[in-house]
Amino acid sequence: MLILRLAIASLFARALTVGMTTLAIALSVALFLGVEKIRTGAKASFADTISGTDLIVGARSGSVQLLLYSVFRIGNATNNVTWESYQDIAARPDVEWIVPISLGDSHRQFRVMGTSVAFFDHYKYRQGRDLAVAEGAIMSDLFDAVIGADVAKTLNYSINDPIIVAHGIASFKEHDDQPFRISGILEKTGTPVDRTVIVSMEAIEAIHVDWQGGGRIPGQSTPVEQIRQMDLTPKAVTAALVGVESPLQTFSLQRAINNYPEEPLLAVLPGVALQELWAIVGVAETALLAVSGMVVVTALIGMMATMFSALNERRREMAIFRAMGARPNMILSMLVLEAALTATFGALLGLSLLYLGLVIAQPIIDSAYGLWLPIEFPSTRELAVFLGVVVAGAIVSLVPALRAYRLSLADGMLPKT
Amino acid sequence: MKRTLAISTILLAGPLLAEDTRQLDAHEHGVGELNIAIDGTTLAMELHAPGADIVGFEYKAKSEEDRKAIDSGVATLARPLELFVFPAAAECNVTQASAALESEDDHHDHDHGHDHEHHDEHAEHEEHAEETTHSEFHAEYNLNCSDPSAISEITFAYFEAFPNARELEIQIASASGAQSFEVTREQPTLDLRGMF
Repeated sequence: MLILRLAIASLFARALTVGMTTLAIALSVALFLGVEKIRTGAKASFADTISGTDLIVGARSGSVQLLLYSVFRIGNATNNVTWESYQDIAARPDVEWIVPISLGDSHRQFRVMGTSVAFFDHYKYRQGRDLAVAEGAIMSDLFDAVIGADVAKTLNYSINDPIIVAHGIASFKEHDDQPFRISGILEKTGTPVDRTVIVSMEAIEAIHVDWQGGGRIPGQSTPVEQIRQMDLTPKAVTAALVGVESPLQTFSLQRAINNYPEEPLLAVLPGVALQELWAIVGVAETALLAVSGMVVVTALIGMMATMFSALNERRREMAIFRAMGARPNMILSMLVLEAALTATFGALLGLSLLYLGLVIAQPIIDSAYGLWLPIEFPSTRELAVFLGVVVAGAIVSLVPALRAYRLSLADGMLPKT
Repeated sequence: MKRTLAISTILLAGPLLAEDTRQLDAHEHGVGELNIAIDGTTLAMELHAPGADIVGFEYKAKSEEDRKAIDSGVATLARPLELFVFPAAAECNVTQASAALESEDDHHDHDHGHDHEHHDEHAEHEEHAEETTHSEFHAEYNLNCSDPSAISEITFAYFEAFPNARELEIQIASASGAQSFEVTREQPTLDLRGMF
């Protein structure tokens, strides 16, 4: 107890240097835990992009690629899936529901996705949450479009605004003879749906009626009334989301689709594909964590350096302690205790900085990146980091403390010659 | 041990397009696949393991000894609870178990034994079948577990039963989605806490 009182008093006596060391540790701890928080948050929101879907079906490529273009709208499909194959799969008894997805057109920087109304019933995110319409309603007419929250915000759209879909991606050719009407705006989800314009499968067919091979057939413009009369059954889909009757059939359905003889198809389990994708993306995240870990180490070494230089100033102090009857290992434990206390204050301050930062940044990060960082009691992992910093602080301080221990046997008591 | 990545020349042909469809399955010695699906109290598992893992060879059984090895491999595979150990609290019982050896030749016989004659390359290929063939053991199990939530882990005695097996790639599908895992000879336990 005496040692604790002495250590605290000694820290207060050197409030400025100790304060600086504490601040350095605090910032490093806040950085490390912040990175950890973003890492776990990003991983969770990544895994939450799609749920409730048992299989994603597309042309045979790789599971990660299929996941990227069908769910994240990154990259393009190698091939489409013919409507016949789609119907074949849909007709299987183990398929509970199937939702087509047709990609390939864009509106400004956003992708346009053709799908069926069932998409709104079956696409789930964040552990089973449904898509919700913030304004208006889902499409009911051929030329209705539902837009994601980011589309509405970025382009400043509201219900009933006209919207023109461009052919291809980043193309100047626009399907300007058939403007769409915005019928609904979805609530923010933090998934790629936010950056998507959703129209019906038939609408995708309709806008391509007068187009062939990337260009409009010259002089031909089918009036909208005539298009409405046409048979707009899609010829192909880009991918399909499938739900099975029972999880027991997941693997047999997957095998049946992968061995489908008429067309090379690929069915992937979204959860497994997400894990594969995360294994690739996760490398960067580990690097980030390693860098912030080094910052903590640097702060602790900084503390050791200040302790070393303080030893010189405190030679008299140590000598007086010794003269008063303090044993050398009391000097040692006092120095280690000081360091442990500094590290504890630092880690505590770091933790408070982290939570302060979270309170301020949480809504900003959520709206800007769709990344939800939960504010909750520190996890066991964070507590372990906290404890680790305190223990590491104590261990690091052993180096200067042992030096003080050795010196204090005689140093400062003898007049220097 | 060097990993041998080989591709089996299993021809899976549909009934109509037997001549046009060629597909190759991946085949890696030492690595088996186990799929587990769970719905309520029912657990369905399917195991695909290279012949090299189970009996140590993949050629067509030549001697009495080879045939015995295959029979004992199939017999061991047909007792899933001795290979995959579930916690006692889950009270898992086997309702159905089957295991069989499938080789390249079997595929020909089962699937399209009738079109042997019109593939000249095939005839040639089959002459070399003894050197190039790959075989796989397939097993399917149905289990009934009174308390699936008690399945906190699965211990793989599989690796003790089959000294040539090094790794199992596991996929689990349940109502909450699918996940993949890997168990190895060095770490033969699968931690499933919070999964069901």
